Amino acid sequence: MNKEQIENKITQKFGSAIEIQKTKNPEPFIYVSIEKYIEVCEFLKTDPDMCFEYLFQLGGVHYPDDRFEIALTLSSHKHKHELVLKVKLPHDNPKAPTATTVWEAANWYEREAMELFGIQFEGHPDPRPLLLYDDWNYGYPMRKGWTGPDFIPMPDKTKGGDD
Amino acid sequence: MGIIEKAPLYIEKFPGGSVVTTSLESALNWSRASSQWYLLFGLACCAIEMMATGASRYDFDRLGMFFRASPRQADLMMVCGTVTHKMGKRVKILYDQMAEPKYVLAMGGCATNGGPFYYDCYSVLKGVDKVIPVDVYIPGCPPRPESLLQGCLKMREKIYSQKLKDFASDSKMV
Repeated sequence: MNKEQIENKITQKFGSAIEIQKTKNPEPFIYVSIEKYIEVCEFLKTDPDMCFEYLFQLGGVHYPDDRFEIALTLSSHKHKHELVLKVKLPHDNPKAPTATTVWEAANWYEREAMELFGIQFEGHPDPRPLLLYDDWNYGYPMRKGWTGPDFIPMPDKTKGGDD
Repeated sequence: MGIIEKAPLYIEKFPGGSVVTTSLESALNWSRASSQWYLLFGLACCAIEMMATGASRYDFDRLGMFFRASPRQADLMMVCGTVTHKMGKRVKILYDQMAEPKYVLAMGGCATNGGPFYYDCYSVLKGVDKVIPVDVYIPGCPPRPESLLQGCLKMREKIYSQKLKDFASDSKMV
């Protein structure tokens, strides 16, 4: 299926829960509301026309205006098409249902997003830290404005300075 | 520089053969500098240059350097690559497991001071000298094998200049 066909089919099925983002990319970018997130994921995986059986990546995003999102890149070996699925999360206490019930591969990606962005995934089977060292207690390093021990921010070169 | 250059001066003839007389200091330094077995520490792209230097074109073996995969058998720790905070603890453990005398060579920008990860980075240690003492720093990103070889020659010079009294105290000898 091409980009328009995927977008049309998913909009017909879920209607107002879906928001299409206009991009120049060859694959569709689709926002889904958090209530329908897992339902849409299951549809995308099991529907014979979609058949997105492969979770390429799942990542957290923190925007400078303090919005949180998660972004999933899906791909289908059968139909050779891809799709980017995004979910807007609540501004304070970002929380999402786990996608491990649909794709087992989401396990480590969600652990990474939990640790680096502080996004909670409800129902995750193994919510341990994944990457940072054992006695890390300096918060979530990939959030905007984070500082921690031994952290040196990039000097602002537009204002002039030593280097 | 070492005992080899001066060896003919030290040879004493006596009936039935000859002996070599030298000071304990230069004999120790010669043996230490001439068989620097190094601990493999490939952490990033610098490791590729280290492997190239160890292979036949540049050939570490002619300096008496062989890689050891165990810290118990190694004299020299070459830290080749980006040391993260998480890895820094492991580097310290491996350094403590090496037998004296031991030397450390920090290869490349990352191991020297954090290099390209100096600013805006939560995970990279700003230089391996924050956790272990370093003898020779080699700049470059990554350094060419020629730079690494020169670093090893500098390390030999440093070992040849060691004094015996430096070894007597409990403090770090290098």
